[in-house]
Amino acid sequence: MNEVARKYAEHNVASIFLYTNEAHPAERFPHLTSMEQKFEHAAALRDDLGVTRPILLDALDGACHRAYGSMPNMTWIFNRAGHAIYKSDWTDANSVDNALGYTIDVAKRRRARETLAPFNVQRIDYRDADRMAFFNGLKRNGRQAVDDFIAAFGPPPDGFDSDSDDDAD
Amino acid sequence: MSDKSLLERYNYDEFVPDKFMPWMRFAESPELGVAAPDFPLWQLDDGAETSLKAWWSKHQFLVVEFGSFT
Repeated sequence: MNEVARKYAEHNVASIFLYTNEAHPAERFPHLTSMEQKFEHAAALRDDLGVTRPILLDALDGACHRAYGSMPNMTWIFNRAGHAIYKSDWTDANSVDNALGYTIDVAKRRRARETLAPFNVQRIDYRDADRMAFFNGLKRNGRQAVDDFIAAFGPPPDGFDSDSDDDAD
Repeated sequence: MSDKSLLERYNYDEFVPDKFMPWMRFAESPELGVAAPDFPLWQLDDGAETSLKAWWSKHQFLVVEFGSFT
């Protein structure tokens, strides 16, 4: 997503990361109880995971996040008038890239005085589903995150080592 | 429902279906193409208060990824 942000910045497209609740709280990053703690976790997101986009924090009660459907990693795109023009219940850089490319092209066509009318469309997009990387991400949060996820959705992929620190950067 | 109850339920302490499933509300989220709700937000870098509107009104388009460290 950082790369997509850089790609479209020249088109006056801003990209931000909005910090919400903890989806998989665990020993290293437990559930949030204060804004001070939320700032600390958001700083770790920037420093440890390399998010280079501006990071903004929602209120502790998730007022914004809840109003938009409170999915753990969704993406929305807004126009200057404050209308949402894209929403996705999961974040995938290819999907966002595709949406922005189309949207930028529409803006160009409008400036060229093409007569265009909006309509609604729904479709299914496809994201990378690397379960090993996902489980290693859970391990980075702490053992509780791994155990909770296994209890909810079943065992990890073959070869996943929940005890080693090799893959938890 | 008290504010404390909301804070505790939203910031759930373990990833178990009874605690996270109630928040999977994408089907109830705002429609596209109409005025979207605005909310106060806080900048990580300096702690200053801002808002979604302050960001979308300054750019041709605004991409917002929601998420957390975990």
